[in-house]
Amino acid sequence: MNVSGERVFDAPRDVVWRVLNDPESMAKTMPGVESFDIHDDRRWTANVKIPLGLGGLKMKVDMEKVEEREPEFAKLAVKGHGVGAMMNMETSFTLGDAPEGGTSMAWSADVKIAGPVGSMGQRVLQPIVNQQVQHVLSALDAQIQQATQSE
Amino acid sequence: MSEASTTTVAPEKVELQKGWGGQSVKRREDKRLLQGEGVFVDDIKRHGMGYLHFVRSPYAHAHITRVDVSAAEAVEGVYGTLTGEEVAALTDPFFQISSVPGGNIKDYSLAVGKVRYVGEPVVAVVAETRELARDASELVEVEYEPLPAVVDARKAQDADAPVLHDDAGGNLMWTGLYSWGDFDAAVAESDRVIEIPQLHFHRFNSTPLECDGALVEFNRGVEQWTIHTNNQFPGFAAIMMGPAMKVGLDKLRFVTQDIGGGFGNKITSHPQLVVCCLLARKLNRPIQWTEWRTDFHLSMSHGNERWFHDTQVAVKEDGTLLGFRTKALDDAGAWLRYEPLGGVIWAQVTPGMYRWRHCELDFTQVATNKAPVSPNRGYSRMQHLWFTERVIDIVAHELGLDPVEVRKKNYIRAEEMPYETPNGCVYDSGDYARMLDLALELIDYDAIPVRKAAAKERGKVLGVGIGSTLDSGTNNFGQSRLINPELQFSGNNEVATVKLDIFGEIVVTLGTTPQGQGHETTAAQVVADILNCDLDAVHVRAGHDSYWNSHAGFSGTYASQFAVTGLSAVKGATEMLRDEIFKLASAVFSCEENLLELADGGIRIKENADAFLPFMACGAIINANNAGLPEDLDVTLNCRYVYRPPFQVPDVETKTGNLTLTYAAQLHVAVVEIDPETGWYEIVDYAAVDDCGKRINPQIVEGQVMGATAQAIGAAIHEVYEYDEDGNLLTPNFYDYHVPHALDMPPLATGAIESPSPFTPLGTKGMGEGGGAGIHAVCAAIQDATGVVVTTSHNPYQRVWEMLQETSA
Repeated sequence: MNVSGERVFDAPRDVVWRVLNDPESMAKTMPGVESFDIHDDRRWTANVKIPLGLGGLKMKVDMEKVEEREPEFAKLAVKGHGVGAMMNMETSFTLGDAPEGGTSMAWSADVKIAGPVGSMGQRVLQPIVNQQVQHVLSALDAQIQQATQSE
Repeated sequence: MSEASTTTVAPEKVELQKGWGGQSVKRREDKRLLQGEGVFVDDIKRHGMGYLHFVRSPYAHAHITRVDVSAAEAVEGVYGTLTGEEVAALTDPFFQISSVPGGNIKDYSLAVGKVRYVGEPVVAVVAETRELARDASELVEVEYEPLPAVVDARKAQDADAPVLHDDAGGNLMWTGLYSWGDFDAAVAESDRVIEIPQLHFHRFNSTPLECDGALVEFNRGVEQWTIHTNNQFPGFAAIMMGPAMKVGLDKLRFVTQDIGGGFGNKITSHPQLVVCCLLARKLNRPIQWTEWRTDFHLSMSHGNERWFHDTQVAVKEDGTLLGFRTKALDDAGAWLRYEPLGGVIWAQVTPGMYRWRHCELDFTQVATNKAPVSPNRGYSRMQHLWFTERVIDIVAHELGLDPVEVRKKNYIRAEEMPYETPNGCVYDSGDYARMLDLALELIDYDAIPVRKAAAKERGKVLGVGIGSTLDSGTNNFGQSRLINPELQFSGNNEVATVKLDIFGEIVVTLGTTPQGQGHETTAAQVVADILNCDLDAVHVRAGHDSYWNSHAGFSGTYASQFAVTGLSAVKGATEMLRDEIFKLASAVFSCEENLLELADGGIRIKENADAFLPFMACGAIINANNAGLPEDLDVTLNCRYVYRPPFQVPDVETKTGNLTLTYAAQLHVAVVEIDPETGWYEIVDYAAVDDCGKRINPQIVEGQVMGATAQAIGAAIHEVYEYDEDGNLLTPNFYDYHVPHALDMPPLATGAIESPSPFTPLGTKGMGEGGGAGIHAVCAAIQDATGVVVTTSHNPYQRVWEMLQETSA
């Protein structure tokens, strides 16, 4: 499943870059994070409970930054494992200067979900993923605003 | 009086004594089944047994890099586990039917090193409850390294396609060219060659009420397994399991009583049975496995998906069919569990019901990252007959002819029976044109133009479609040599024993494994007729047990054959018993056998009714009071008969021969009414006419006809195993995989004619696999209503809407 989009943040590019590359800030944007471990500046692990159907889907998610060109591009490989689902995701974002000020972020993700949850199929999962992406982006917006104000 | 009947006919009057065959006597199995007193595999319990749950692959294609069962085994109540590595150490790969390259693949009962479809069993966990086994299986850690998957058979042979089996060197499993007659000569003789680029028969399955299962015990003292299972072809399971487990077949005892539906799906549960056997030995306790419904959908024996490409049909302008040429591409899924037999089974019905003499079919079977396929009610013939029927309607469409007339022009005629097909099969009997007339009468075909006009006024479109199948039954297993000349199978056999017990009970043991077909009833009818006794005097043992000499190599219930193989064995054994009763009575009465007759549950002197020896006396004399009998009286009153159909080994070079013994025929007509705005449609009338030769029990036959019709409607409209591009099955449960309910069934009229088979002892033919007729009837009706050529067997409402949109665009 491929999801992608573009978002403009009312903040300088270096602030956006910093938030996006700060594991603790990113943890606050992710849905249902129950715990978060930082192994080094490239590898993090999160235990999440994704709100999916009854009770939610518990998953241990390993993230690794596999490519980086500061302050415009980064790519992460994400592997998740939980009861009833396995997730593999490759996601990247590209930052640029927005024409009307602020920072633009073009992002994309290739999500593969295996297991019984995967059998629900794209027609069921796509709206759920889209909804979660909107939550992440709104939370990210809040994090960036907070970072801007604290400067 | 019309030969047609409807589903609402009144019960037929049952006459006493004379002529049980041909009567719709009540099924004797139904009392226990309706009262919940049947014994299915999940009803069998043993002290200390462990419940098995399979850990299954979430990936369609991946290397297994690590398996750790320690956390699961540490749970209290978990008895143990079995991994693919253990299976590889303890067993050999299953014997492969295929020649190379498919013959090179290594198939074990659990995934070894690699998984090849979503749902493939990877590890087995056994615990004290079913729920605990399922929970503990979540603690088994399996690390995978995902690989790209191939799910579209058409891409399986691309240069960059992921390869499932390195041992096979690619995804090609089997290929063979079948060519009979001279298609090029047919083209030269033809007025037109009609080309059909692509036709697609979709992947679906039949749905038994009961999923697969087993209760397996290991007798350590004699090193023998007793396998209580609902596998429907124990003879096949045994020859797969014995060599893999490196044991003789006497070590594998198969037992079954009631089975909740089979449809062919339950032929290939041998990998799971091997896992149960290994665990029963390893853990020294009985192992119980009952498959979950989702697991059944994910991994158990889907029906063959098939593409037909570049079809050419040589025809005359008047609709005379001369020949066809096509390329069939068959999707085997990940493993060859019964395949590639589908690559030859279709050839039993090469020309369908039609007289064309020049047929060429280039068959290719490939592996994909989907569940393995195996027989499914109408196995392989259904796909091919759908193709031939589709060709007829497309030809009629192209030539502007009436599909009814094209059929009648090309049907094999009743007076041509027995009819030898271009590939040497012999259709035993039948009258297809008469069947069509009867089916059209049942839906009041003459009124169709008026109904079409009326539908149009209501903003709907109405269409009528015809579909037929030949339910070829009683396989000649010699056809497997056309797939792999090195195989040493041929012919067929089935066994029955009939004995007269000490109190005169007539006891019948069958080699078959009935799954609801009423074998106990029809066998009793045959026996009672031969012994001229009351039906209730005949006791037919329920179920199957391979241990006590009442099975043969091909014993089982599959491929439309019981009415021939099973009942012929019953007939043979009963006639042996009858002859022995005559011999005994002749000795007792000191008279010639020709002065005796069977009557009233015994044997008597024709001219002296007082000289009567009831069966009870016969049984008592031989079994309990035999002193003083003549030494040369060779009578045991315990008779075993093996029926062997009259087959020859097919010719491997020309790929010709009699591949099957009987040809029951089904002719279905559907009338559909479509809402062109939405594509939603309804089957407003439906007729099914069946000819299976002599019917022993017409009501049982009619039940099979109704079941086959439901199978057809499900497949045509609702049922499909759909995969996404990553190999996830999107329809693994009843929410997404809709099996027709009673309310989905259309008004159904049934009719029957009887063309007794000249090749079988009772004039019977196997039957029950006629559902393919209905799949095509729906396709043809949609084509008639919309005017759009239908190219796929599965036409849900959205597909019809898309077709209409494509046309209007």
